[in-house]
Amino acid sequence: MPPRSGNILIVDDEATSAIVRAVCRRLEDEGWSTRVVSKEDYGSADDMLWAALEAIEDRLPDGVILDVRLGEYRDDHFKGLDLLKRIVSDRPHLPVLMFTQYSQGVERDTVARSALQVEAPVEFIDKLASPEEVALRMRRLVGAEPGTIAIGSRIVLDGDAGSVLIKDAAGQLTPVIDVRGRRFEILRELAQAWYRSPGNVVPFDRLERYLEGDDARASLRVRIREIKVAMGKALEQPMGANDFIVSVRDRGYRLLPPRE
Amino acid sequence: MATLTPRRVGAHPWPAFAGFAVAVAGLLAMVVSLFVPIAGLFPEPWPVEPLAYIGIAGVVLGLALAVGAYMTAGERRRHSNGFNGVDDWSRLTEQQFETFQHDLGRPMRRILGKCREVRGVLAATGEDVSIVVHELLDEIEEQAPSFRLMMANMQVMINLETPDAPAECYPVEPTAVVSRIVERYTGQAMEQGKDIVWWSEPEEFGLVNSDAAALEHIIANLVDNALRYGGDYIEISTTRGTDTFRVDVTDNGLGIPAHYRAHLFTRGWTPEMGRSEEKTSSGLGLYISRTLAHRYGGELSVTSVVAPLPGHCTTFTLTLPVGAPDA
Repeated sequence: MPPRSGNILIVDDEATSAIVRAVCRRLEDEGWSTRVVSKEDYGSADDMLWAALEAIEDRLPDGVILDVRLGEYRDDHFKGLDLLKRIVSDRPHLPVLMFTQYSQGVERDTVARSALQVEAPVEFIDKLASPEEVALRMRRLVGAEPGTIAIGSRIVLDGDAGSVLIKDAAGQLTPVIDVRGRRFEILRELAQAWYRSPGNVVPFDRLERYLEGDDARASLRVRIREIKVAMGKALEQPMGANDFIVSVRDRGYRLLPPRE
Repeated sequence: MATLTPRRVGAHPWPAFAGFAVAVAGLLAMVVSLFVPIAGLFPEPWPVEPLAYIGIAGVVLGLALAVGAYMTAGERRRHSNGFNGVDDWSRLTEQQFETFQHDLGRPMRRILGKCREVRGVLAATGEDVSIVVHELLDEIEEQAPSFRLMMANMQVMINLETPDAPAECYPVEPTAVVSRIVERYTGQAMEQGKDIVWWSEPEEFGLVNSDAAALEHIIANLVDNALRYGGDYIEISTTRGTDTFRVDVTDNGLGIPAHYRAHLFTRGWTPEMGRSEEKTSSGLGLYISRTLAHRYGGELSVTSVVAPLPGHCTTFTLTLPVGAPDA
């Protein structure tokens, strides 16, 4: 994944744990830069709390991953919630993903949420979640898509240049000439929806905004076919009905990265 | 963005209020009787003003009602906080489960962390290891979502069996809940060559008054089942109506025969039981999901088209009120 400008602050008392390391690695693979505030560096949970608030002021992160438990002492078990309340109060729009020790129960979220503002972009995830799930959740919470989106290992959508690039075996990037203008806009719309939430169907009318004429639906079908043909040629693999851009009956289209 | 007011379902202070109101009315009647005699309206003998009698009766009745209501509420509080009767079991079980969950969750997190670390090292170094190692890592990671769901099912089960446990409702964005579930199961689906798709109608779905954790728990159970027993395509749709909203989870599997469908929501029932085979799951997921749906004023139902009929599929439909359910 090409580098992106965003950075994520991770506040966890177990910075050296395999789980935290795996999450950091996954986020960095996606192009985020990460910084960990941990107990190893700051000793007590209270020191961690203040260090985290300072880091937020200094680095202005795009998102924060925060552990509920900031130490082994009983008083530290929910210290992360104190920090969360401070963050929500000081920076109500900063996305926070809260790591919980336990699996989810009906009341757990409710209790934690009751102290927060409803609109705050705060979500909870348990520590058994895979690094991929953490990265996907962070993507959606942060919201803004990066300028370039990697679709699988060979396709790069460059939003700034308005072009789609194909990576060859040597890592060389070649633009797909036939996917420009409206075709590019349609593909970008699909790629952004996929980036925010894989499997999300983009409704027909959202894609038809890029087209003119009496029968926009038919025109959209033609453009989608043209994109698939162009991408199939560039990737040197045929694109069937269930490849790359897939129609979901009566609803819209969705992007399906090529299987590798 | 729509704004909804959170409310708590299940709190009833009105008997105590009614008792106090009757007592106050009685007191007023006694005071009024001092200034407005109505003795002439009643036959003799009345040693004291009749309105005063009515007032005294009102005070006694009202205070009795208020004290009775307060004592009943106190009894409930003791049951929910202390260790008496049926609630003892629930509270004690919940506390034991917390310990159990922590003790079991910690090694699981370590195993999963090490598993991911090994995978990361292998990817970074490009070391060629036996396929068995990769299969082992896949197996550990594939079991993680089922483990998480099993832990959550046990916790919800205890909560559901706790008498008077409140059903909290607050503003929830159902599409965000669906996104979270898709994020959780996407990796597992890809490993199995399956596809999870979701959409909402309208696209900007807005807020409903519900419980995100309960909603997530129900849909997670449905998606987990679809991945386990369904076909290779799972579609989650969220549709908003005037008073209710619905979530459909459809898979293109072989369908569920009618004689199995009748047992789907029975506690502990699994498809293997119908075939006299060893159980591969607890059989609690759908039972818990329907119980949760009922608790929040909704319904969970199933329809299925069974193979070899064309278009064979199974759809579980969750319907819940857009606003909070009535107490």
